[in-house]
Amino acid sequence: MNVEQWLAERTFHHSNFWDIKWLVEEKERQGLSISLCLPAYNEEATIGKEIVLLKSELHDRYPLIDEIAVIDSGSSDKTCEIAASFGADVYLAEEHMTECGNHRGKGENLWKALYLLKGDIIVYVDSDINNIHPRFVYGLVGPLIRDPDIHYVKAFYDRPLAFSEGLRATGGGRVTEILVRPLFSLFYPDLAAIIQPLSGEYAGRRSILEQIPFPVGYGVETAMLIDIYEKLGMAGFAQTDLDTRVHRNQETVALGRMSFGILRAFFSRLTGAERARFRDALPNIMRQHSVNDGNFEQRQFQIDEIERPPILEIESYVEKFHSELQAANRT
Amino acid sequence: MQRTRTVEASQAGKSNNMSHVSDVTEALQELPLALAPLREEVLANLVMLAQIPAPTGKEQGRAGYVLDRFVEAGLPDAGPDEMGNAVGFLPGKTGQRTIMLVAHLDTIVPESVDHNVVVQADRLIGPGISDNALGASTVSMIPTLLTELGIQLDSNLLLVGSVQSLERGNHGGLRFLLDHSPHPVDLGICVEGVELGRLNYFSIGTLRGDITCDVRPGESRSFGSESAIVVLNYVINRLLQIETPSRPFTKIRFGKIRAGKSYDVEPEHAELGFEVNSHSDAMIERIQLEIEDIVGEISARHAVDARLDCFFRCDAGGIPFAHPLVKTTAEIMRTLGIEVDQGHSPSELSEFISRGIPAVTLGISQGEKNRKKADHVMIDPMLTGVAQVIGLLQTLDRGNCDER
Repeated sequence: MNVEQWLAERTFHHSNFWDIKWLVEEKERQGLSISLCLPAYNEEATIGKEIVLLKSELHDRYPLIDEIAVIDSGSSDKTCEIAASFGADVYLAEEHMTECGNHRGKGENLWKALYLLKGDIIVYVDSDINNIHPRFVYGLVGPLIRDPDIHYVKAFYDRPLAFSEGLRATGGGRVTEILVRPLFSLFYPDLAAIIQPLSGEYAGRRSILEQIPFPVGYGVETAMLIDIYEKLGMAGFAQTDLDTRVHRNQETVALGRMSFGILRAFFSRLTGAERARFRDALPNIMRQHSVNDGNFEQRQFQIDEIERPPILEIESYVEKFHSELQAANRT
Repeated sequence: MQRTRTVEASQAGKSNNMSHVSDVTEALQELPLALAPLREEVLANLVMLAQIPAPTGKEQGRAGYVLDRFVEAGLPDAGPDEMGNAVGFLPGKTGQRTIMLVAHLDTIVPESVDHNVVVQADRLIGPGISDNALGASTVSMIPTLLTELGIQLDSNLLLVGSVQSLERGNHGGLRFLLDHSPHPVDLGICVEGVELGRLNYFSIGTLRGDITCDVRPGESRSFGSESAIVVLNYVINRLLQIETPSRPFTKIRFGKIRAGKSYDVEPEHAELGFEVNSHSDAMIERIQLEIEDIVGEISARHAVDARLDCFFRCDAGGIPFAHPLVKTTAEIMRTLGIEVDQGHSPSELSEFISRGIPAVTLGISQGEKNRKKADHVMIDPMLTGVAQVIGLLQTLDRGNCDER
């Protein structure tokens, strides 16, 4: 599948999947189960609305989602209390899969979600969305239900960047356009067709997610795309326009640290595939500057890009989800 | 202008009201519990509706949402009427009476305000959520809730999200519907977001108007040309001198004032929005005449065109305390553990009363209408508030409060 064909056939709008009743019927016919994972860290301002809306519309009214779970990184605010009060299952990431140790980061939560949740399809939705709407879920799940050849669906959004000559300017955020898309253009040109590779909303089949490693930190979204691409090519992907997403904007320095983490995950894949080689190990210190009373100060941030192995390599996971595989291995 | 009539209490039904209520006390007390599995649906519905801006005259989005809910719930007849009201008709098994459940869709919040709703553990916060997104979302959910609870009424249910209720809307949507509905209405329930416990069955007399002052181009021979603000100030000072007795309760409120654009330019236009409330229609008429005289005199004496526009008038009136609708409603509320707060209402209630239709206004939850920040409604009392509406519908359905 070439990129033009992929863009034409695998780029959807959420309205293509408005018929939730049909999605539910088709999901049941296929015997699929779907889990919604909300990775969270101090999101008390938005988590309640996300759960209330998604649970009501896509669990209670139309049973598209079979479970809703918040995987929390140790919030110090009322995130967990609010989530539980509206009926979500709440898991504190550090309390689960303790035999594997604990790392703090969004990627850690996404990885552990594979063990904690039961669904054949896992939908990941960030917890900081102000304008949450059921489309954030059915728009991502729809392509997976409709087409068995699709394994992973990424969200993209309208962003009011520029508008001229009747063309809607659709693009990613700052890190996407300045860092990730140039990198993809250089090393994985097909993936440059994914409009927002860093969006925090995506859905995937367990069968592919369990086969790929998960960086614990900032690199998880980029790594996921590269690793799935290496296994399935563009044919495994789709993307859905979810219209507008309203959320907090991050400061440029925070985006700098994010870029550092993404670069580390990216280089680790290039070196792993022997497409690039570095004489020395890359440092894990990100250096930024601040000005205090006219003096420049260098600030150093340690950003380890630890990666979790494919969860299929974890015994407790195999025991829980692939007992038949385990039995076959024993014999 | 509508004139209010007092609806007399029916003799029939008075004696056996309480026994009917006590018969269903147990079922009534269990209603909030039966509604508990639907809590997230109720909350989600409120969030989605509250996030649609609906200033008076621009309620189409909210009306469309309510109609979608009616259609999804399988109402056989749902659509907008000529005024844009969202109207759903749920035929009863026998259709022996028609009960109208109405909530106004419009709010005083401008479209430009961010309508984002925040969901906290104990409350929902958002502009206009208490007045009246919660009332409107409750009405929109009633068909779904009845179905989920397995309740089928003998009576027809006319469910209305009304438009143009506030400000200069002057209850326009509801007035139109009551005058043109193909289904004559026997009983009315007005639903407001807050406060749970309110039981309004009479309206205080109300007069609303604007006074505008426009400076004439030429100077007055007597006083010269003056700032419209100064002239409006003369008007306000004179209005403050109008006698307002405490019995019958009478009050003049100055609610809005607008004039001027810059520090160094005397404005040519100024306007004042006021309201007069009284338990006596005669008192309101006297005050209206006095205001007309004041405005006329100021207009003549100063170099301005001062005008009075009384665009809203609602006469005092209601159903008596002894009316079975009032007594039954109060009993239902007490059964549900709701502290009853009886009093007057400036709501659409007056439109029912003026047409001889017994009606009450109820609130769904506790909360607050804020002037400077977003409103809020509490989550916990909400299902009790919804239960009181459903309990009342069931009781009315048994004919306990029939007039005819």
